[in-house]
Amino acid sequence: MHRYLILLLIWISGYASAHEFTPTYPKMKQSHVENVVTTKMKLFNLRKDVEYYEIEVFNQNWEPVAVAVPKGNPIKISHLKTKMIDIYLKNNSGARYICSTSKLILTGGGKTAVRSRICSKIK
Amino acid sequence: MIKKTLLLLALGTFASSAIAEDMEVVGNVQSKCVVTPDTAGVYGNPSPDKLDSDPASGGVDPIVRYDVIQASYYKAKITYPNAFSEAPALADVVNWTGDTATSQVSDTGMSGYDAAKIEYDNVTEFSLTVAGSTWFKTETLAEYGYGKAFPAGVYRAVVTAECIAI
Repeated sequence: MHRYLILLLIWISGYASAHEFTPTYPKMKQSHVENVVTTKMKLFNLRKDVEYYEIEVFNQNWEPVAVAVPKGNPIKISHLKTKMIDIYLKNNSGARYICSTSKLILTGGGKTAVRSRICSKIK
Repeated sequence: MIKKTLLLLALGTFASSAIAEDMEVVGNVQSKCVVTPDTAGVYGNPSPDKLDSDPASGGVDPIVRYDVIQASYYKAKITYPNAFSEAPALADVVNWTGDTATSQVSDTGMSGYDAAKIEYDNVTEFSLTVAGSTWFKTETLAEYGYGKAFPAGVYRAVVTAECIAI
């Protein structure tokens, strides 16, 4: 019994430090503004050590594309919280990837930190 | 009396039809990638001019877990550091080397990931062609100048773990 409890705790503690960004293949649609397209992304913060995520958009060659995120960018998101994020792009901007990247606070020496980034591909 | 009987009959009919109603269970499986920093890396200092995450040098290699729900939707791109994010003032160059490989897999089909990985600069790419969890271990080594001793202080570096839809 104790063994299962320990396994469960290990699993929970491991999972409680993850980063999730969906959908994998977002579809852009016309926004209420002319020549501006929009989509909605879901960000789930399971990382205790991260409070901010930056939304970045890239074209096919991984060159940055201008993006508008009305909720602010980087986005503040507490541990274990989900946020729906509206993304606005110029029509025909050539955008191909929408990425969320964890922003790290640089404290605690002698260690390596992990910056996580998840990129969805625009269909 | 007749009204009462009819009412009871009607109620009985509704009740039985409610019992016979089918219940639907709806599920939606979406492709997704979850990136989890599993083990924090620590630099060992086996000699004055080296900071090494290799356990043989007294360090701990950072480990990142990737969970993918569906196969062949994502690739993992892991970058070992080529600069310190935090360090004392350094007057000489730091030479960086590193390596990323799988350390644990949830499916035997992932055993070919290391042979198929693509390496360039300080980046290693793996195609996540099997659904499940993969743990990637990154070894990072920093050597200061030509056998120079690292100044005393706090050193920190960042490993970047990316999951990119393909």
